[in-house]
Amino acid sequence: MDTGIARKAENAGSAGGPSGLHVPLRYLRVLATFARNSLIRDMTFRVNFLINVASSISWVLMNLGFYLLVFRFAPSIGARTGWEQWPFFAFLATGLLINSAVHALFMVNADELSELIRTGNLDFVLLRPIDTQFVVSLTRIDWSALGNFCVGLVLLGTALVRMNYVPGVLECLLYAFFVVCGVAIYYSLMIALAASSVWLGRNLSLLDFWFYITTFARYPMEIYQGRFGTPLRAAFTWVIPVLVVVNVPARLLVQSVRPSTASDWFLAAFTVAAAVASLVASRMVFQAALRSYRSSGS
Amino acid sequence: MSPAAAWTIIRISIAERLVYRGDFALSTLMRFLPIVTQVFLWAAVFSALDAAGRPAEVAGFSYHEMIAYYLLTMVARAFSSMPGLASGIARDIRTGAVNKYLIQPVDMLQYLLLHRIAHKLVYYSIAIGPFALVFLLCRGFFPGWPDAEVLFAFAASLIMAFLLGFFLESTLGMIGFWFLEVNSLLFVYMLFAFFFSGHMFPIDMLPAGIAEIVRLLPLQYLAYFPAAVFLGKVSGPQLWQSLAVEGVWIVFLAVSGRIAFARGVRRYGGYGG
Amino acid sequence: MTAAIEIKGLTKSFRVYQKPEGLRAAVAGLFRRRYRHVEAVRGIDLTVAPGEFVAFLGPNGAGKTTTLKLLSGVLTPTAGEARVLGHIPWRRENAYRRRFALVMGQKNQLWWDLPAAESFRLHQHLYSLPRDEFERTRDELAEMLSVAHLMQQPVRELSLGERMKMELIAALLHSPEVLFLDEPTIGLDVVAQHNIRAFLRDYQQRRGVTIVLTSHYMNDVAALCRRVVMIGQGRIVYDGALDGIVERFGGHKVVTLHVSESWSAGLLRGLGELLSFEPPRARLRVGRADVPVVLQRILAAGQVLDLSVEDPPLEEIVAAWFSAERSAAAALSGGGERGEGEA
Repeated sequence: MDTGIARKAENAGSAGGPSGLHVPLRYLRVLATFARNSLIRDMTFRVNFLINVASSISWVLMNLGFYLLVFRFAPSIGARTGWEQWPFFAFLATGLLINSAVHALFMVNADELSELIRTGNLDFVLLRPIDTQFVVSLTRIDWSALGNFCVGLVLLGTALVRMNYVPGVLECLLYAFFVVCGVAIYYSLMIALAASSVWLGRNLSLLDFWFYITTFARYPMEIYQGRFGTPLRAAFTWVIPVLVVVNVPARLLVQSVRPSTASDWFLAAFTVAAAVASLVASRMVFQAALRSYRSSGS
Repeated sequence: MSPAAAWTIIRISIAERLVYRGDFALSTLMRFLPIVTQVFLWAAVFSALDAAGRPAEVAGFSYHEMIAYYLLTMVARAFSSMPGLASGIARDIRTGAVNKYLIQPVDMLQYLLLHRIAHKLVYYSIAIGPFALVFLLCRGFFPGWPDAEVLFAFAASLIMAFLLGFFLESTLGMIGFWFLEVNSLLFVYMLFAFFFSGHMFPIDMLPAGIAEIVRLLPLQYLAYFPAAVFLGKVSGPQLWQSLAVEGVWIVFLAVSGRIAFARGVRRYGGYGG
Repeated sequence: MTAAIEIKGLTKSFRVYQKPEGLRAAVAGLFRRRYRHVEAVRGIDLTVAPGEFVAFLGPNGAGKTTTLKLLSGVLTPTAGEARVLGHIPWRRENAYRRRFALVMGQKNQLWWDLPAAESFRLHQHLYSLPRDEFERTRDELAEMLSVAHLMQQPVRELSLGERMKMELIAALLHSPEVLFLDEPTIGLDVVAQHNIRAFLRDYQQRRGVTIVLTSHYMNDVAALCRRVVMIGQGRIVYDGALDGIVERFGGHKVVTLHVSESWSAGLLRGLGELLSFEPPRARLRVGRADVPVVLQRILAAGQVLDLSVEDPPLEEIVAAWFSAERSAAAALSGGGERGEGEA
């Protein structure tokens, strides 16, 4: 999750500071401190923490209940798509893992960014001898979101058992890798939207936009068909690549939709490219936002 | 409370709400976006049924009826949702702001009701644009206008949904007189309400035993009932019976709220603030 | 000796966008925005030697904070140059950021819900300070500020003064060579103000740090700095010793008389502005240039038991200058907004 490491070019090698291997170590230490401070803080407000965990888990369970009801009536989601009940639940589990990871690591910070910009307290972040995007993105870690992450793991395990499928080591590694790609894409979108508050001010909260866009990724991409569905699917795959976030890793584990054709593998390769491209693009947006902030003051 | 005072409260509340109207129109439109995914989801479900050679209905709802149902529950929610009502009352109790209702010749429940009416009026005046647009675009899902009797019942169910929602949440908020930390309780209520009010799915989809129990609860009137009325899922004598039962619920909750308030105030130490 | 801070013709102007009211304006605002031009800093030239303690004095909106932000690299100037310790601040090189610190009064950098000690530890990692050095510095600073016993308490439970002390510690943990302080004592009670001033004086003497302090409290300035830079409407109006302010801005003197019974208020008023008259004491305000003449007339007018001629208190002079500045600034911006345009 350390996007700062790859972008220390401007920081490394400055006179009087650490260089070489010390830099990534320093970022890791700072990240560990962020995680620790966040945990201390969350434990200080224990009741709130437990309520958050309970409410997010309950929400997930309710949704699962809804899908259980749906599968009482229908054999699968979409005709002959392979998304029967347990494959579909594996899909949901993947979505849970990715969403909860993004929530835990980045959501609070993205919200905070708009506040920092508005109050001018972003100044203080600019003073530190460390990459600003790194600090802004990771200062607060929301440990309560990990409740959902655990639910996701349990659900995934259960689904795999029910499907009688034991994934190999390579598959697990690929799965984890594409989950990380998905998180990278979601993160890039989030931080770019949050940074845009420099130009748009407080009135238009584009961060809400993030929620609405990512709702499209909650379901397997096969459901987008027909006159409106097909262009929608194309747009959210190739232009704003949110559909590949959950779909690509989930497919790895579900036999009926396993990547087999060339186009499937192309989609996987595209996902990697999209993840890298998103990170680069969001970085550019962030830098531009910083330049604007610095020339307009608080 | 005198009519003049009531009108003043409404007028002030409207003015207060209008200040934020800029954000409203856009966010109301955005709230329809998740429906788009729902439409595709149900389309996929029904096509799976089709491919499996099964009849194209889920719990008695066809594909079009299902989508129409969701849109109608959004209308019902526009009437029955009371954001911040229960938590606001609980907070006022906790911070001692309730005192102002006790000192001044203003009845708290009446004030809150008028306040809500005013907010809803403003909300409708702004939301009617986006709503009308969405319904126009989706008119293909609707089987046409129902007859006058059903329409009348639908309108009645909406107004009663507002009253039911109000008295339900305000009574819940009164619990703040007995338990300081009411939030956990409220959250449980929210969860239940969302799942069993028909907001997430038509109650008909529930297995028989559970469905019977849920139909005994007043929650169904918040989202499911008006939609079901419009779509003709509830008709004839059963329709008017249900409305009557809803009426009883409203009276019951209104009275409970009053009693809870009176008792709570007596117990109230005036703490906080 | 090379200067610690060198500023030439530093200029900074902002475009302040009008926040739109109402829906129509908000949508219109996406396409065309109305803005106002604000020239916060208009060509500042300044040189500060290492180890100097300089105060920026001026009313609100004069450009003091903006100048500090420019020197911290937080803002980028519209024109002009500046170098701090040889670095160009707005390049925001890590090497520079390790060598200076900025503290802003009433703005909190520390984690709110956590003990200060945790924020300090974060600083240690941010600045890559070796453990023993960090602990030594931290304990030393906590000693000097008498807050060692509060380090494990959540910051939000501390009083305003204690919080400020923690902020100072955080800023000084990495032993910066240059320290920028923006209104550090604002909002604090008298005791806290005194303690912080004492600490700053002590620290500066021990470490030889270059400090730039902005304030609109005369007491800060008088207690800490010999060199005062007065900034008004974005320009430096005065740069020199504290005493010199009186020379430059003090337009009048206060004449205190002990008079005999034959004197009347009317007689006194004829000599100058009567500030107070409680027989036998009278105080007059007299224009500088008029003092010799007035003295002659006093001595000629009647029996005087005692006489003294003094400068008005420094605060008064500065306060008078402040309000003159404020009215001037208001007049300039009130009568039509400069550079209003549509972007």
